[in-house]
Amino acid sequence: MTLDWSVVWDNRWRLIAGAEMTVILTATTMALALPGGLLLALLRLSHVRLVRSSTTGFVEFFRATPLILQIYWIFYVLPAAFDIRLSEFVTALLGLSLNVSSFNSETFRAGILSIRPGQWNAALALGMTKPQVLRKIILPQATLRVLPALASTWVSLFKDTSLVSIIAVADLSYVSLKIRSETYRVLEVLTAMGALYCLMGYPQAKLVDWMHRRFKVVE
Amino acid sequence: MIAKRKTKSRPRIGSGTAPILSFEGVVKRYGPLEALAGVSFQVHRGEVVCLIGPSGSGKSTLLRCANALETIDGGRVVLEGVEVHDRRTDARKLRRRMGMVFQNFELFPHLTVLRNVAVGPTTVLGMPQRQAAERATELLRKVGLADKAAHYPASLSGGQQQRVAIARALAMQPDVMLFDEPTSALDPETIGEVLSVMKRLADEGMTMVVVTHEMDFAKRVGNWIVVFDHGKVVEQGPPQQVFDEPTVQRTRDFLSHLGWHGESLAAADLLVQPSSTDP
Repeated sequence: MTLDWSVVWDNRWRLIAGAEMTVILTATTMALALPGGLLLALLRLSHVRLVRSSTTGFVEFFRATPLILQIYWIFYVLPAAFDIRLSEFVTALLGLSLNVSSFNSETFRAGILSIRPGQWNAALALGMTKPQVLRKIILPQATLRVLPALASTWVSLFKDTSLVSIIAVADLSYVSLKIRSETYRVLEVLTAMGALYCLMGYPQAKLVDWMHRRFKVVE
Repeated sequence: MIAKRKTKSRPRIGSGTAPILSFEGVVKRYGPLEALAGVSFQVHRGEVVCLIGPSGSGKSTLLRCANALETIDGGRVVLEGVEVHDRRTDARKLRRRMGMVFQNFELFPHLTVLRNVAVGPTTVLGMPQRQAAERATELLRKVGLADKAAHYPASLSGGQQQRVAIARALAMQPDVMLFDEPTSALDPETIGEVLSVMKRLADEGMTMVVVTHEMDFAKRVGNWIVVFDHGKVVEQGPPQQVFDEPTVQRTRDFLSHLGWHGESLAAADLLVQPSSTDP
């Protein structure tokens, strides 16, 4: 078996563009899923039962079903059933954001609940409103505590973006698999793809490790 | 009995004027448990009222009811004519007027000592950062911790944290200070520094309600002692009466259980300097 690495070099700009798309998808999804997750977490802690239970249902649905199904569902069912037509990129972003928001909401909820009730009492006793207590006292502490978990989700998300290649969003996976099918250079292209993911993913994973150490809760 | 009380002690501080804080038949239930079974007593301006009694007798619950951190199931709590638990009452406005100090300090761990003290005024009163920082610095000096302003609470001893918590409550310039077992979570060697800060506050005329197991503090600094047992007030009166001639068997049992025989508890002596209010 002869290897021809020139295929990777010849397609370097397409691969880089794919890698860019992967990064853009990851960053944009997280930018939406952080406030999204926080919102869902707060709704789940609401005093209104209906709000609480419907949010729980939403979150559990997205946590319990595969991401690939969610993306397909948005891609095929929304246009067919509701006549909502979204571009591939927006479809991908929507699917990923809803999915990651659901996971983030659980993370935020656990963080908020981990702050002991005395902190609420102390802040309320000063005369703060509940939103003030949440913003000034509870969320800063909770966020710091869940930062490592959020970072882990980020790294998972970075890899899960590869699933959007199924709806022809030109991310690193889609581009790589396309080059493979054009050139039949399976080994070279997949190796290059793996190397690129690893090159980008490894520093992120290391950063997560560092965050776990740096923000470990000492009580 | 009442006649004796009158001849034994000076008139109660603020007697004859309307109380600043009054509890009228307060009832609090947790399921079948009646934590407060109709508690009544009054606090006058400038008084230090100490609530004593066995653990679980309802003292701390009452304190949390005072500033509406807990709802009540009967009776009323009135702060200068305003009913605390009335639905039309803005609980937050009342809480600003009542500073609270907790057994476990409950400082905000993500904020520096200075910001812990300043966060109330900036958030609740909308005070500018600079002005709040000045007030906070002043209060930290008062509790002897000006040099710790830039530290985080975790680097402070328990006694220091509690002094910061007192400064934090004072930053709202409250009319009444509520202390919920402020020294119960402290190492013995740091209890004194907290009690002496409280004593100084009392000397300055601050109105204080103190839930405490420090009987020496209660006797020396308190002007009015309320004895709790099983969610009820079993006795109340000036410290001379309650500690030296308790009229109720329950009080006698409680005090003798603590080893109190009308004299200072040895451990408490180092805490509180003799004051001008002592005879």
